[in-house]
Formats: sequence, C-alpha cells, structure tokens
Amino acid sequence: MRKPLVNALRWLVFIAAVVILNFPVIATLVTSLKSEAEIMTNASLIIEAPTLDNYAAVFAMADRFDILHFLTNSLVASLIGSALAIALAFPAAYAMARFGVGRSWLLPLAVNLRAVPLIIFAIPIYLMYQQVGLLDTRFGLALILCLVNVPLVLVLFASSIADLPLEIEEAGRVDGAGTLRLLVYVVAPMSLNVVAASSVLAFIYSWNEFLFGLMLTTNSATPVSVGASFFFAASGGGVRWGVAAAVMILATLPPLILGLLMYRQIGRSMTAGAVKG
Amino acid sequence: MPRTSRFEGRLLIAPLTVFLIALLGFPLVLDIIYSISRVGFENIRAPEPIGFSNYAKAIADPEFWAAAWFSLRFGLIVSVIQVVAGLGLAVFLAPLFAKRPWLIALLMLPMMVAPALVGLMYRLILHEFVGAVPYYLLEWYGDFPAFLGRDWAFTTLVVVETLQWTPFALLILHSSYAAISPDVREAAALDGARGRRLFFNIDLPLMMPAIGITFFIRFIDSFRVFDNLYTLVGPGAGGSTTSMSIYIYQAFFKVGDIGLAVAASMLLLVASFVVLWLINGLTARKAPL
Repeated sequence: MRKPLVNALRWLVFIAAVVILNFPVIATLVTSLKSEAEIMTNASLIIEAPTLDNYAAVFAMADRFDILHFLTNSLVASLIGSALAIALAFPAAYAMARFGVGRSWLLPLAVNLRAVPLIIFAIPIYLMYQQVGLLDTRFGLALILCLVNVPLVLVLFASSIADLPLEIEEAGRVDGAGTLRLLVYVVAPMSLNVVAASSVLAFIYSWNEFLFGLMLTTNSATPVSVGASFFFAASGGGVRWGVAAAVMILATLPPLILGLLMYRQIGRSMTAGAVKG
Repeated sequence: MPRTSRFEGRLLIAPLTVFLIALLGFPLVLDIIYSISRVGFENIRAPEPIGFSNYAKAIADPEFWAAAWFSLRFGLIVSVIQVVAGLGLAVFLAPLFAKRPWLIALLMLPMMVAPALVGLMYRLILHEFVGAVPYYLLEWYGDFPAFLGRDWAFTTLVVVETLQWTPFALLILHSSYAAISPDVREAAALDGARGRRLFFNIDLPLMMPAIGITFFIRFIDSFRVFDNLYTLVGPGAGGSTTSMSIYIYQAFFKVGDIGLAVAASMLLLVASFVVLWLINGLTARKAPL
C-alpha cells in the first residue's frame, strides 16, 4: 500500500511548513539565548552555551530604554482599544440585527473600511491629536486601536446576533424588560463566545499595530511594536544583537501565547470575518 | 417597526456613529480641505485654498507612480503565491488536521507576530555576520546575495510577506475545504472521479468563492504594506521598495509637505474605492458562500 508513505510525506511537509513559516521567531529565539560573544562567532541555529544574559541585560538598561514601560503601554492601549471597540460595536450590531437601524449604511461602511488603507486618515488624525493634546497618550493610541478593530468586531457581532433565537428576547420583553436590560442580561450572556473570540483577535491586532504607534507617540505612550526598534540603537555603536533578539521575543510572547491558547476562537473569528465581510 | 424601537435602535448605534464621525468623518473632511490648500504647520488652522495643484504635483511625481506600481505589483505577486501555497497546504494536509485539529495552531502562529517585529527579526536573520540565513547559504552553496540590496530587496520582501501571511490563506481555504460535504465527494467517487479529477472537477469549483475572497483580502492587506517594509528596509534599496503607504508617510514626516501627502492619500482612497467596486462587482456575480 502507498498509504503509509503518503501519510509520512504529509507529516514531513507539515513539519517543514511549521519550521519555515515560524523561522523568524525560531531564529530570533535561538539568538536571544546565545551570549554576545557566541553570536559573533556562531550564526548557526545550534546553541553552544545557552544563557539568559540577554534578557537580564534588557531589564538592566531600564534607565535608558524601559521594556516594561513599552509593554505596559501596549497592554493598556490594547485593552482599552479592544474593550471600547466591543462596547461600541455590540449595541450597534444589536440595533442592526433586531431593529434594522443602520444596516443599509453602517455595515457596508464598516466592511468597506477594512479595505481602505488607514494611512489615508493618519495625517489629519495626527494634526487633530496635536490640537487636542492626544499625541503621545495611551488613550489617544487606544482610540485608534478601537478604530482599527471596530469593523471586524461589528461584522462578527452582526452575524452572530442575527443567529440568536428571537424567542428568549421576546419572552424577556413580555416580562417587561427594556432594550438595555435585554442587551445586558439576555443578549450579552448568549454572545459570550463571540465576545471572547473577537476580543482576543482585537487584542492581538491592537498589540501588533505599528503605523499609528509610530506616528502618534514619541515616548510616553510608545507601544512595544515601535519601542522594540529603539533597542537596536541602544548601545550607540553596533547593534547588540542578543539584546535586540531578547526584546523582540519579549514583545512577541504575549500575542504568541494567546494565539496558541485560543487558536480555535481566533481561527473561527478570522474565517467568519473573511467570509461574512 | 414601532416608533419606539426605531428610536431605541438609533440610540444604540449613536455611540459608534459619533465615534466614526470624529475619527473618520472629520479626518476625511480635513483630508479634502488640505488637499486643495497651501498648508504647512504654521497655518494649520487657516489653510489657503489653491485648487488642485497638490494633486497635480503628486501626479507629476515619478516617485508617486513608482510607489503605486510597487504596491500593485507587490500586492498581486504575494497574493497569488499565498493563495496557491495556502491552497496546496490546506488540501494536502487536510487529513492531518481532520484527526488532530490543534496542528493548525502551529501554522497560524506567524499571524500572531507583529509584522513590524517580523521586519526587525529579518534584520537579524539576514545579517551578513550574525544571521542564520547567510550562514547556512554560505555553508551549503558558498555564497549568498545582498538580500536588502537593490537587486534583491523586492524578492526578499515578497518572501517575508508570503511566509507571514500564507497561514491566512491556509486557514480560510482549509475551513472551506473541510466544509465540502462528504456526500458530494462520495457521489463523484461513485461516478468514477478520484484523485486529481476529484480535486479539479469537484473541490476546486466549490472552493472558488473562498479562493476569491482570500485573494482579495490578501491583496488589500499587502497593497497597503507598511510595517515590515519600514522596519526591514525603510525607504532603502535606492527607493526601490517605497510602497504607497511609505510614500505618504515620507511626504508628511520627512519632507513636511502636508498638501502633497494628503493629495496622495486622497488618490489612494480613490484607488481603494475602485478596487472595492471591482470586488463587489465580481462577488455579486458569483454564488454567495
């Protein structure tokens, strides 16, 4: 039979795909675990003497470049941005699904917005932020992260709420519950799956956003996606590759772990977002 | 629809509407005003109307067209490669995923990494002294190209973008492939179709809508490429890797020409509408998913 052979070939292709597609992270992780001296003499993927020195060095230069500061900025702005996107999109999606309000313009607008390069709005937003003092603030960055995520979250909610059974809501109405109560006590609990899935995806997209972080922050609110490159120039002269690699791993770990733990929800959201949009 | 619920509905979409007007509508109005004005940081509140000369300047700028051409070519090439590679992997590896669904998580990981960080990582990986790729190429072939030089930068960027986003095509196409009813395949098998014929006559036509959507999403995303390009090469390689997004960013931040930057933004917006119009026209004719 040829079957076992084909199966072995499948595994081989799978393993090769995993290694090749994840190569940037793998190679960076390997470099981050080598000593500065070894990096200069051994560029292979085999580590002769593994060490955590680079990670210690990253935290030791906190007085000049504070990795925790950048990570905190990313965390705070991403959390606010994702939560705000959900808070804005959830009631709107409900209104569209149940009352038909805004379905003819808000949903197409959101769907099409995903196809528009946001750099188009970046310059006026920069100028607006300058006028109102939102430049280089976590909240200002969070507002943009919300804008980035609102289309996807809205599309996901709109399709999931439309699929919920109407009977439960009607029963609630008969019992005298207003729309707001229904939304909080009936619709939201039934939508927890979608809320969880879309917030994870929104958080990852927020964490990884770069363009607006680059344009709208200088230091106080700089997210780690932008701050990571500061460490490339940290030592003045040549790049300290071990430190740079350790920073990149630290900056990548949160979304990577989330992705591993929640791959099912993320996959479902990405697929639904693509197909429903 | 009773009156009260329409009113309630309006209340429920009000926050999102206000938010979009503030962060999208207002910037768009500013874009339009500034694009037909002489404006600098000194007269930002009182732009002076000058007609369409900013647009004329953008259209007359060879770098603008070079950037547009770069984005278009880059977007098309990487999208085609990603769809083909994603389709191949999705179909070939489907039996593995059917038994162990979690395996796909390992192939989705590249999408979790910030493209900006991926760009930075390649600065390390492709570095001539400390990078693993030049090391192994030297070991195996005795030579390696200047990955970020004029001749190779485009290819390097295509590979970088493709490796990160083929997982997206794989994910969407895998779920579309897995959704094909076994009945359909069984019926086709009864009629004598198997292997390649089963794939080309049954699976592929059924997956066409998903393939189309995947291609458009990848095209839209890679057309506006900024992050990995900026962190890996910047405007480097003699300007041969300037995308539309990079062009606008530089016109604004490096040159300080606000009028030119917003005029280019508006042209990009028009181009996006054309693409959207094409997509809507194409998908409207096909059967819905």
